[in-house]
Amino acid sequence: MHIPDGLMEPTIFAIGWFIAILVLGVATKAVNKRVDKRQIPLMATLAAGIFVAQMLNFPIGGGTTGHLVGAALAAILVGPYAGVLIITVILIIQCLLFGDGGITTLGLNIFNMAIIGCFVGWYVYKAFPKKYEIAGIFTASWMAVFIGSFACAIELAASHGISGGAYGITASISIPMMLIYHTVIGIGEAIITTGVITYIAHLSPEMLKIPKIMLRGVSEEASVNV
Amino acid sequence: MFKRKDLLMISGIIILFAIGLVGFFIFSAPYGDGLEKTMEEAEVEESEPVYQAPLDYGDNYALALSMGCIGFAITLFAIYIVSWLLRKSDAPQQH
Repeated sequence: MHIPDGLMEPTIFAIGWFIAILVLGVATKAVNKRVDKRQIPLMATLAAGIFVAQMLNFPIGGGTTGHLVGAALAAILVGPYAGVLIITVILIIQCLLFGDGGITTLGLNIFNMAIIGCFVGWYVYKAFPKKYEIAGIFTASWMAVFIGSFACAIELAASHGISGGAYGITASISIPMMLIYHTVIGIGEAIITTGVITYIAHLSPEMLKIPKIMLRGVSEEASVNV
Repeated sequence: MFKRKDLLMISGIIILFAIGLVGFFIFSAPYGDGLEKTMEEAEVEESEPVYQAPLDYGDNYALALSMGCIGFAITLFAIYIVSWLLRKSDAPQQH
């Protein structure tokens, strides 16, 4: 779902940059001077793990593939604000070093994958009662991808509409196609995210007890009842 | 700093990546992702990038494995630095 250069109308990617910078400012302010030293190796390892997992596309049928975004995974493990920063750093490295995603559309990629992914992932996960936590992780990670792809489809359609067809993709193709593909890709994301968190819960439960930084204060609650 | 448990986890991720990459080259390498397929359906060609990145993911196993390891190390280092800069102060907080 990394949008390349030349696909989006300049007004649309400028709006993407504006929102991304605004939210990154809020996330940095929320996280600043609040990262527990115990969290640093987890955050670094988690980010590096998500980077390589994003390289491993899995087939979803019909000659199409998908890959883990990892935003819900990061948000559930370290909280949404630190999660946004982690996914943003990954997207910047992918763009600047590996040419994955355009530099003009980096703001939109941060918005679709880091911001929507982490906040949708976190709040859907928190909406589920503790009793149904595994179902919550599964649904949250699926929705993080699905809503992110819907935003991308809207951006493509808006670019097409504003530019009179010079940029973007018409809504009649972008919305159904993006949603159909990402409905299936989201299931892959949900299986991987649920599997990883359940595995961590068995292997190293103390990792799930690390406080999650929120806008005000921290959530001391462990991810997954351990 | 990283403890033994963290180093074991890092090694585990690299091993899993090396194994997963085999599956990627067998099943997925020639195909596009959801957005690329949508572009294909709409007959939209990907244009030249505005910025030319110095590296790419590689189109064979050895190169992709090396690039994955380079990306892994850079991401690990970058997040370590960012979170170190944003860390809680050691000094007790005044109330």
